[in-house]
Amino acid sequence: MRSPCSLKQEFLKKWIMGIQRCNFSKKKLSILERKKAIKLSADVAMASLRNGTTCWSRALIAKAVNQGNDEKHDLVQQMVKKAPIRSVSCNKRMMRSKKILKRSCGVRRRKCAAQASTRPSSIAKRLVRKRTRILKSLIPGGEFMNEASLIEETLDYILSLRAQVDVMRSLAIASENQS
Amino acid sequence: MAEVLNRTAAQRQPTWNTRGLNSATEQVGNWFLNPNWNNSMDQSDPFESALSSMVSSPAAASNVPVSGENVMMRELIGKLGNICNSGDASCYSTPLNSPPRLNLSMVNLPNQSTLAPFSADPGFADRAARLSCFSTGGNFGGLNDPLMDSFKLSGNQSVNVNGTQSNQNSPMAGNSGSDKKNTGVSRSSSPENAESGVSKEESSVSQQIPSRNDAGTRKRKSIPRGKAKETPSPAAADDKVASENDESNSKRSKRDGAPAGNGNAKATNDGDEKRSKENSKPPEPPKDYIHVRARRGQATDSHSLAERVRREKISERMKFLQDLVPGCNKVIGKAVMLDEIINYVQSLQRQVEFLSMKLATVNPRMDVNMEALLSKMFQSRGLLPQGIYSMDSSAQAFPFGYQPQQGLPLNNGIPNITETQFSMKTQGFQLPSINGFTDANPQVGSVWEDDLQSIVQMGFGQNQPQSYQGSITTGQVKIEL
Repeated sequence: MRSPCSLKQEFLKKWIMGIQRCNFSKKKLSILERKKAIKLSADVAMASLRNGTTCWSRALIAKAVNQGNDEKHDLVQQMVKKAPIRSVSCNKRMMRSKKILKRSCGVRRRKCAAQASTRPSSIAKRLVRKRTRILKSLIPGGEFMNEASLIEETLDYILSLRAQVDVMRSLAIASENQS
Repeated sequence: MAEVLNRTAAQRQPTWNTRGLNSATEQVGNWFLNPNWNNSMDQSDPFESALSSMVSSPAAASNVPVSGENVMMRELIGKLGNICNSGDASCYSTPLNSPPRLNLSMVNLPNQSTLAPFSADPGFADRAARLSCFSTGGNFGGLNDPLMDSFKLSGNQSVNVNGTQSNQNSPMAGNSGSDKKNTGVSRSSSPENAESGVSKEESSVSQQIPSRNDAGTRKRKSIPRGKAKETPSPAAADDKVASENDESNSKRSKRDGAPAGNGNAKATNDGDEKRSKENSKPPEPPKDYIHVRARRGQATDSHSLAERVRREKISERMKFLQDLVPGCNKVIGKAVMLDEIINYVQSLQRQVEFLSMKLATVNPRMDVNMEALLSKMFQSRGLLPQGIYSMDSSAQAFPFGYQPQQGLPLNNGIPNITETQFSMKTQGFQLPSINGFTDANPQVGSVWEDDLQSIVQMGFGQNQPQSYQGSITTGQVKIEL
């Protein structure tokens, strides 16, 4: 496990790079645009730190690339210098095909779920399944993972999110204090 | 006849139970057969019509096992192999008989010669008595085999023996059995066939019998319970069941191993695991259908094995998550933990959104990030080792003292490590003033990048003693780009 310090350092580096590049491209941005740019660069920086080893990072980058903004695309590409972009495109295809599969299977699942039983074990199972579904929707690219890998990805994602939040918070406080 | 049946049924049940408890493996087959017979009886119409009164209580109590027994009965009568298979199937309430059937049918042939001695067994007599109560329907089907004829003879003998040995019930049982047999196509042969089949199986096909016995014993437990006239000691029966289950478990693996290829590709690998898994199960009080079903068949075993492995994997990772997510330590249970994890992830994501919005508002021009970045970096880097933001305020004085030439406003205190690093770094790189930053963003950007990298590499997370006060040497600074 990487130390959180090194994680934050690298994240900060990449994030700053991304923000700078955003700055250079446009001088005037609305608040929302700025916020989006900041968030995007932060997310991509976080995801690029994993170098495509985790599913959520690939899915995150794929989403960023898919947003269709050329600038952002360039930004993302610059930030993610390595091969992950290629794997990201593959991930896109995978995600699409998996989405189709999931949609076709989802109907069956709903039908099975309709047969409700009142046994506590089945209730617990239903709860767990429901929450697993919610978690899958939260984690980027989580819909295509099985339960075991979902928990692994959640672990990694929580760590990265924590580092991201810490860095952003300290930066926000610093900029607040500064101004 | 109905009255006779009723009486025999009522009286026989206690005898069965007691006998089952007392006897050894011989009785296992009886147990195995009896519940099967009950099941098979329910399922077959003639059985029901003939034995409805007699088996009303057990049937009502345990319809599923009784039906399974009926199925078993029919098959038993037909062929030894079928009987054995159906016994397994009925116990588990599943009609999957193919794998065990193979073994059993093979066993049938060599066993024929051994029928005679079996009939002489007192256990056989007991079994016959019991069987006669249940046997009705299943026997009709397959009584045409030559085996069945021999069975009939042995069965008759056993029935008579039972009659002499036991209470009046046994002769009545025998009579009722015979009556039932007469009513059906060849009822008489059925119990004997079943018994002999069972006994044969017990003796010759040790592998299969224990497995069937498991079902039978397990079934047996449910049936006595179901019946109104309860056995004296279900606990003893449980022990018996457990012991038999153990035997069956060990033997089951062997049996399962043979038809493993038929059942599952993984069966061979899972065989040993199944054994261990099944051995862990017998001590559990058999919960009738669910318990039986779980143990039956290789498919379920390999599935449940894989399930178990998967579950262990997941629980292992959940433990990591417990440490990661605050507030999960007290919680035990997947659902609640998942809930906590979801809440935590959602809160983190919301924080990111909020902070990015805050940064966007605070910095109308994102250029300002550089200055704030540095200071913030030091703050955060100070935070990183200790994880406490309050540390910064204590070391506030230092940065200013050490970076006069750069004029960098380090508003927040910097922990020792970061201060040293930063001071060293600044001396080495001659960072421009804040104003300078705003004017030349691109240049600053590149410079900042280098600085950032070097600072980040040097200062963050690297635990170095406080030695910056007097001995800052740029030479010690490592610039990593």
